[in-house]
Amino acid sequence: MPPSNSLPPKENALFKRILRCYEHKQYKNGLKFAKQILSNPKFSEHGETLAMKGLTLNCLGRKDEAYEYVRRGLRNDLKSPVCWHVYGLLQRSDKKYDEAIKCYRNALKWEKENIQILRDLSLLQIQMRDLEGYKDTRYQLFMLRPTQRASWIGFAMSYHLLGDFEMANSILDAFRTNQMKGPYDYEHSELLLYQNMVLAESGQYERALHHLQKFQSQILDKLSIKETSGEYYLKLKRYKEGETVYEDLLKRNPENVMYYQKLVEAKQLRDPDSIVAFYEVYKKEYPRAIAPRRLQLTEARMPCFEQLVDEYLRHGLHKGIPPLFVDMRSLYVDESKAETIEKLILQYMENLSNFGTFSSEPDEEKQPASALLWAYYFAAQHFDYKEDTDRALHYIEAAIEHTPTLIELFIVKGRIYKHAGDPVSAYKWLEEAQAMDTADRYVNSKCARYMLRAGHVKQAEEMCSKFTREGVPATENLNEMQCMWFQTEAAAAYQRSQQWGEALKKAHEVDRHFSEIMEDQFDFHSYCMRKMTLRSYVGLLRLEDVLRSHPFYFRCARVAIQVYLRLYAHPLQDVPQTTEPDTGQ
Amino acid sequence: MTRAKIELGDVTPHNIKQLKKLNTVVFPVSYNDKFYKDVLEAGELAKLAYYNDIVVGAVCCRIDMSENSRRLYIMTLGCLYPYRRLGIGSLMVEHVLKYVEQDGNFDSIFLHVQVNNEGAIDFYKKFGFEIVETKEHYYKRIEPADAHVLQKTLREPQPAPLVNGTVPHAKTNGHD
Repeated sequence: MPPSNSLPPKENALFKRILRCYEHKQYKNGLKFAKQILSNPKFSEHGETLAMKGLTLNCLGRKDEAYEYVRRGLRNDLKSPVCWHVYGLLQRSDKKYDEAIKCYRNALKWEKENIQILRDLSLLQIQMRDLEGYKDTRYQLFMLRPTQRASWIGFAMSYHLLGDFEMANSILDAFRTNQMKGPYDYEHSELLLYQNMVLAESGQYERALHHLQKFQSQILDKLSIKETSGEYYLKLKRYKEGETVYEDLLKRNPENVMYYQKLVEAKQLRDPDSIVAFYEVYKKEYPRAIAPRRLQLTEARMPCFEQLVDEYLRHGLHKGIPPLFVDMRSLYVDESKAETIEKLILQYMENLSNFGTFSSEPDEEKQPASALLWAYYFAAQHFDYKEDTDRALHYIEAAIEHTPTLIELFIVKGRIYKHAGDPVSAYKWLEEAQAMDTADRYVNSKCARYMLRAGHVKQAEEMCSKFTREGVPATENLNEMQCMWFQTEAAAAYQRSQQWGEALKKAHEVDRHFSEIMEDQFDFHSYCMRKMTLRSYVGLLRLEDVLRSHPFYFRCARVAIQVYLRLYAHPLQDVPQTTEPDTGQ
Repeated sequence: MTRAKIELGDVTPHNIKQLKKLNTVVFPVSYNDKFYKDVLEAGELAKLAYYNDIVVGAVCCRIDMSENSRRLYIMTLGCLYPYRRLGIGSLMVEHVLKYVEQDGNFDSIFLHVQVNNEGAIDFYKKFGFEIVETKEHYYKRIEPADAHVLQKTLREPQPAPLVNGTVPHAKTNGHD
């Protein structure tokens, strides 16, 4: 520290206490000590004290004064790393990360080896995805504190993120052999899995597999070991071994669709008939599992498909599985499959209403009374999908007449109207459904969404208010909860009704949520290193990198762009023609 | 083939609309707002019947203190047409019987039924109800307008003298 700016021992002790107060969030006391130094005319312009006073004020929410004091402090002591660091912290608290990075760099000019500043800088760099800068900073931290765990991890990760897998791996190897002395606990296990991830991402599956096998006794996440090794076997075309792994995994969970698909890959089954036969084996093995039955339908061709889907539909209608149609819908890409399903469902409805059975065979067991209802329900959705509104309505009416107390029927009736281009009738039926169970949040939200589609924003807000916090306006609470489905639909509704200001307001609310999600990332940079959840951390970084590709963001951005273009082409007149507040600039 | 699941559930302000829908299609007479308001206070005396998680039936009763006795009056007990003869009605009657038994302080259970509703009369007879009276022009807007009073006696009425009174419930009741 340059001697010209140093304080005499008494004042220096006070200054140290300011720092301590700041760290312990005792801001009031901090200000008191700052006053004691600054009230002495000899030190009234002491830069670092002024800066610390500013930083403390910032924590008390007095932002304007904070900037004033920090800037004044910096002006009085441009060579002080403390002043620059403080200025950086202030900018960081205002999310001005680029500015903050510059400040930290200036601070490091005057004190190259300040660990705290280097750490803060590295956090900003990773937040801003300055990966090269991050690597340099992590290198310095590593050199300064080679015994700390975080130094090694951060150093390795900086190379990983830059795609230098070899370097990342060697650092992790060295760290593991030299530093990790402790027990083989969760953190150790996660570190190994992270290292394995680095190896896999380098494309060296052979090596990754070997690594996984070598350390499997030290890895606690046994499911991960199995799943990743299965993956590697397939990549390496070691199909026999892959087969064993996935057969094993299916024993753990016979409902996992991916395991079946991977096992088909391992068995190198390509012809649909052999795949159908493969699923047949698993149907016998796990008679209660749904996945093999459903997957079989995707592969099966006529006439085998008819027999299989017949079995599947009967089971669903018998049990009364509400989403049966949704489950079947993806099969409709194959027109002949859709036709088969239609034929069967028509046949069921006829037989169920005449004999209470699916077929007309005399010895078939009677179905529960609800089977016909679910058949009507399925048929309505089937014809709605085929855009045959009349028949869809016919069957939903039949269902409602059969059982007028089933809420799902009114939802589907609304949906049929929606698809037919009548959003007003659509929302009225949803309102009916909603009234039948006002404790059902799903129906409540659906109803609100249909209201928005019909342009009734106020009504939709009231609907949502049944489930938002009491005493606060619904919109406020929805915004607080980042309830983006509501906000995107509301933005679109306002746009349709030409309430440009309101539309922009909603679009910007959504944009702010995305910024907030980006901000929230910040805490994880240090937290994940500490907790060693490195695989998830890398996953998080990659998610944040593409965050704004989310449909919610896309839809709101489109509304905002269209509204801005429209306002540019037709600027609003000064005369207040509209009643809504003009919040868009 | 698995057996259908039949169970009873409470009537709440959240699902009362389902009870209204059910009563509208099951009974030829309609009930006013007071009826539904009282039902919400009725506790175990008003129940919805679920068949495989769908509301298909309901029973609503109240305690009747007229004629110097304490009686349970079944206002409505009904089931959607496709779900009849599946034991749902019996489950509801059994619920009511259990209620009066646990209470232990009822003289009888009674209800009104349209005179031509043989199915209902046979149904209640199975549980020990019998026709004790026939009221002419009991129903206002439906034919036939006469109603039998079906009653199941639980114990002899208390020795207090019989006051010449009429049943104070203004609303009629319809079963099929």
